[in-house]
Amino acid sequence: MIRFEQVSVRFGAVVALETVSLAVEAGVLCTLVGPSGSGKSTLMRLVNRLVEPAGGRVLVRGRDVAGENPALLRRSIGYVMQSTGLFPHRSVAENIATVPLLLGWDRPRIAARVTALLALVRLDPELAERRPAELSGGQAQRVGLARALAADPDILLMDEPFGAVDPLTRRELRAELRRIHADTGKTILLVTHDPEEALELATQVVVLRDGQVVAEGAPAALVAPDAAPFARELLGGGQPGLRRLSLLPASAAWEDAPAPPDAPRLPPGATLADALSCMAETGCNVLGLEEQDGSLRLEAVLAQGR
Amino acid sequence: MRALAARFAPLLLAAALAAVALVPAGFGGFPAGRLLGLAAGHAGLALAGVVPAALLGLALGVLVTREAGRPLRPAADAFAAGAQAVPPVVAVALAVPAMGFGWGPTILALLLYGIMPVLRATVAALEAVPPEARQAAIALGYTPAGALRAVELPLAWPLVLDGLRVALVLGVATAAVGALAGAATLGTPIVLGLQNQNQLLVLQGAAATAALAFAAEGLLLALAPARR
Repeated sequence: MIRFEQVSVRFGAVVALETVSLAVEAGVLCTLVGPSGSGKSTLMRLVNRLVEPAGGRVLVRGRDVAGENPALLRRSIGYVMQSTGLFPHRSVAENIATVPLLLGWDRPRIAARVTALLALVRLDPELAERRPAELSGGQAQRVGLARALAADPDILLMDEPFGAVDPLTRRELRAELRRIHADTGKTILLVTHDPEEALELATQVVVLRDGQVVAEGAPAALVAPDAAPFARELLGGGQPGLRRLSLLPASAAWEDAPAPPDAPRLPPGATLADALSCMAETGCNVLGLEEQDGSLRLEAVLAQGR
Repeated sequence: MRALAARFAPLLLAAALAAVALVPAGFGGFPAGRLLGLAAGHAGLALAGVVPAALLGLALGVLVTREAGRPLRPAADAFAAGAQAVPPVVAVALAVPAMGFGWGPTILALLLYGIMPVLRATVAALEAVPPEARQAAIALGYTPAGALRAVELPLAWPLVLDGLRVALVLGVATAAVGALAGAATLGTPIVLGLQNQNQLLVLQGAAATAALAFAAEGLLLALAPARR
């Protein structure tokens, strides 16, 4: 869906990106993570031509963006920013209707779409006539997401979308995003400096440092013992082994042998880290799963960490 | 209630000053009918100077806040400040030899005098637009002109309007100097009064000019309330 081919970007004398190549397939939720100044935002902004490459090509839907009209290209790609960028002089509904209006949709179609989007991002329809200044940080961010999704783009760019909200709201918004991604199958490029967020949300993680991609792959693979040292250090949070277990489902170490009748049971969807935590608390080294046969042994859990 | 009072205070003040200007007409002062005629001419002359000044100030303000126009900013600032530094009386006196008597010199003086308040207000207002709103407009697919029209100008408008009001009040008050160049304005009774040592005429002309200036301010305030 999105391909970067040997892309370099310069801002004056500063090299922001140096011959970066990367492919993001359709339907992937790809997080770009790295320290400040690593070029992660720049890489994302190449996609809708907010940044122009000094060398190389950026292909979106198989076509070089250099040949596209920037305004038309941007209308076809959703964009969410950290500061929300909601228009203060327009109501929530008008903000959401921005791109459909630019695309010349008729009124009934826009009104129906706004209603559907408020429901998708779980906002009270009563908020539709409010001004952005009257919203909480979490609500404003949801409106920003709805506005980005308004014209049903197949690609969504998100620039540190949850950086400015409190931790509780952030967790909620992440869950919303995962649900929306699962429901809509959009290709999402998300920039973050939060390693936990990068791992938790992504189906593909790209680690950048000093304008280059230093590692790329599935979240669990980037904290594995054989991963690139910088990625492991950045994403591992000092305990890469535990981080890795938290990214793998308990089913990865599942065995058919039945669990003892008195063994603690894990809820469905539990990770290997949940299993380890349960074992540490109860002292049992064999666990069962609710509503399912089979068992999980401590040795099998530990084997997955390697 | 206080907001309402603030909104209509200039109009009340204008009415009071108009009474001060008109009452002496019955006691050997400047005739009321002629005073009203002069007021109409005065308003027309002020508008003829202020409207082009406002358009020019607005256009310059938009131009120097665009990416391409940014290098012109110091030159535009210097021009506007220089134009305002010339006292209107001097501008009128200097323009008479070139343009002759009548409205011309006064329109030129008002034009020069009115650009700076509008230019300053427009630049300040556009610079006060939250940068993320503009960035979002571009990122969502507005063209630069579209972003200016749909996002920047609506957000900047209240501040721009403040500048327009200042320019209009300045223009109406200053148009009185037109009398020196032979334009029929509310400055005419002032000049007559000074020549004939008749203080009543001076008072009438001054009060009528002030009344018209306050009325202009009041009208703009009533049309578009000042920012909260």
